[in-house]
Amino acid sequence: MSTMIGTRAAPGRVPDVRVLGVEVAEGLRAILREPTALFFSVLMPVMFFALFASLFGGQPAPSGLPMAATMLATYGTFGVVSVMLLNPGISVAEDRTRGWLRVKKVSAAPIGTTIAAKVIATLPYALAVMLAISAVSLLLTGPVLGFGTWLRLVAVLLFGGLPFALLGLAVGFVASSNAAAAILNAVLFPTVIASGLWFPLEWMPTFVQNLAPLLPTYHLAQLALAQLTGGAALVHLLALLVTTAVGGFLAGLAYRNLRL
Amino acid sequence: MTEVLEIEGVDHRYGSLTALDRVDLTISAGECVALLGPNGAGKTTLVGLATGLLAVQTGRVQVCAGDPRRAATRRHLGVVQQSMGFPTTATVAELVRGAAVRAGRAAAAAGPVLAEIGIADLARRRAGKLSGGQRQRLALAMALVGDPDLLLLDEPTVGLDIAARRTFWQTLAARRDAGVGVVLTTHIVEEAAAVADRVVVLHRGRVVAADTPTGLTARLPDRTITARTVLDDAALRALPDVLSVTRDGDRVRVDTAEPERVLRRWLAADEQLADLRVEGAGLEQALFALTGEASGGEDVIDEKVGAVA
Repeated sequence: MSTMIGTRAAPGRVPDVRVLGVEVAEGLRAILREPTALFFSVLMPVMFFALFASLFGGQPAPSGLPMAATMLATYGTFGVVSVMLLNPGISVAEDRTRGWLRVKKVSAAPIGTTIAAKVIATLPYALAVMLAISAVSLLLTGPVLGFGTWLRLVAVLLFGGLPFALLGLAVGFVASSNAAAAILNAVLFPTVIASGLWFPLEWMPTFVQNLAPLLPTYHLAQLALAQLTGGAALVHLLALLVTTAVGGFLAGLAYRNLRL
Repeated sequence: MTEVLEIEGVDHRYGSLTALDRVDLTISAGECVALLGPNGAGKTTLVGLATGLLAVQTGRVQVCAGDPRRAATRRHLGVVQQSMGFPTTATVAELVRGAAVRAGRAAAAAGPVLAEIGIADLARRRAGKLSGGQRQRLALAMALVGDPDLLLLDEPTVGLDIAARRTFWQTLAARRDAGVGVVLTTHIVEEAAAVADRVVVLHRGRVVAADTPTGLTARLPDRTITARTVLDDAALRALPDVLSVTRDGDRVRVDTAEPERVLRRWLAADEQLADLRVEGAGLEQALFALTGEASGGEDVIDEKVGAVA
């Protein structure tokens, strides 16, 4: 007959908030101390925006809005999706590959907290992308959005980026860190172009215009644009909810088959 | 006596491969048990089950009367795994503080543990800049910082130099004396024997022996005679009751179950016989006798450990 030993207080759950704080801090440090990751996830979208905004920012967009305002939504979508899709997925793949996730798995902290922290730690960087793009826009074309509209745009993009984090995690749970980076980038860039995030869809071939509504990045961009134009948002919101469900299902499936 | 680990009737299979076969093992508080066996014996699988990394297929595994698959139960555990990896960008202090918080303790608990393990001077160094031995000591600090009731240490001394190993064994003995249960797998058998209260030998997934280190070696009738001799190996093997002959420099080692008879004949054949020493069999030899194989540093089936389901 076994007896509980009494060297510590009755065991309970480790307070999730403290653990979450430690995990988020670890995630933030990892991104900040890895300059190459910072370059790809933050600086590249900003540089792309600066390049294209300096070329086309002064022109009117097909929607009638200033092109610079439209580009805040589309390049903002590109920047936020880049960060949210790539960082948690590659980070969890790296942790898995080097055995760090196995260390977490045998600790007293729930593994779900670790995974959630990966996503939360990405949010400040997604916000940094939006701030940097907005600053560049201000410098190049002056103010094109009211502050309230800009706040709505940022909030929509940050929340709308969550399903992409789930898709990234699904890849990170099964692929090695190098493979995860390759797979996610291979998915990201064609999707971004085909969703009209770099160039207006009106400039694209017809088959790309037909393909775009099937892509979640398109719907996030349209939801972001709807904050500027006041256009219909419900269908895009529903598409993103479906993407969240699919991403959650795939991440859950990949986690259940996880090998540490 | 309070049990910190109870393993009852555990079978574990990877497809058609049987890793553990009806294993029973109980570890009490303040007891140190060395888990020995050749490659593929099932040591790492057993540790995987006790840490909750593997799901129990058949039988029962309890840590401090709780299921190790539950996070709350794992507050009782400190674990050093084989091939532990760390985020290269995090510092030693950050990692140990994080381990403290995950175990439900204050982050400040890290400082004393870093000093105890002898890596306080590495506190601000990033994990990516550590040597293999330093990483191993970091792993031990992370295992200890939660003040566990049970330490599960899978090959904890790999990569440690002699001084670090001595510190490690002293730390382990102190924790055991303070009431912590310890299970360790190691290929440095004789060092483990010095600190272990009990040795459990696994072979092909089964417990083939469980005894004190001296009890285990006492089972072997063999003795080892070492000496300097002018006789060649063939002449030595021709002596009655000689089991084996091996040379180490100018010394020769003879294994036998009848040392007195061998010595009488050997002295008669070699008047210059010198530096004579007769010793009992060591734990390494006992292990070899029990399993027919040397103690393995790593489990062949280690790669199979880790499926979350």
